[in-house]
Amino acid sequence: MMGCVDDEDLVFKALADPTRRLLLDRLFERDGMTLGELEAEVPQLTRFGVMKHLAVLEAAGLVATRKQGRHKHHYLNPVPIRLIYERWIDKYRDRRAAALLDLKDQLEARR
Amino acid sequence: MTTEGPAPTTQVYQLYIKASQEEVWDAITNPSVVAKFFHGARVESTYQVGAKLRSLSPDGSDVWGDNTILECDPPRRLVHTWRSLYNPDMATEPESRVTWEIEAQPGGFAKLTLIHDQLEGSPKTAASVRGWSYILSNLKTVMETGAALPPVT
Repeated sequence: MMGCVDDEDLVFKALADPTRRLLLDRLFERDGMTLGELEAEVPQLTRFGVMKHLAVLEAAGLVATRKQGRHKHHYLNPVPIRLIYERWIDKYRDRRAAALLDLKDQLEARR
Repeated sequence: MTTEGPAPTTQVYQLYIKASQEEVWDAITNPSVVAKFFHGARVESTYQVGAKLRSLSPDGSDVWGDNTILECDPPRRLVHTWRSLYNPDMATEPESRVTWEIEAQPGGFAKLTLIHDQLEGSPKTAASVRGWSYILSNLKTVMETGAALPPVT
């Protein structure tokens, strides 16, 4: 359950942790994993650690869960990221910033 | 870096809208509102189980969808088939399923969950319906501000 609905603070805080971003990336690669399957994806974490991070992601709405039979499946919910994109990224993505990113890509590609 | 594999065969989209459960139900079943958040589509249906759910391009010249209502439980749950007729490659893929679930939440919010599943035989459709994020965020904007987002470029 979401503690405080419609709160982008929760999304930014959830995304501010590398382990939680890793869990999102794992779900992006293979959506709908159970807790046990996610645990196997991040062996460096304890079961409790995975549960704790999943709870933060779920509270932020970045992970949605569905029960199927005895299993609870975790799905990456892209909508909050889309809302952040529209609110915070699309607006600032002007031509100058794009040119700088092109320069960064070119310079880094040379390495 | 993560690599993009085949799109999931069950996809879940969820968001909160500052509106009542009934208002969200009305929005997703009212053709004049659907047109505002769904690429200007012209939708026709009686929303009875077994009835057709047809959608046409804004000028009515193309058939975008010719689906069937599988379940209808206002203002909670709407289930219909899905086939992407607007794209010839996707139109030949098997039918998949779309479920809309609306729950009332405290504080004057409704929680909308859209599940697009049974996509096992339809990889092209599965990849393209990632656009539900755009559609649903557009629905939220329409309901909360009355204005639609600019079209996707």
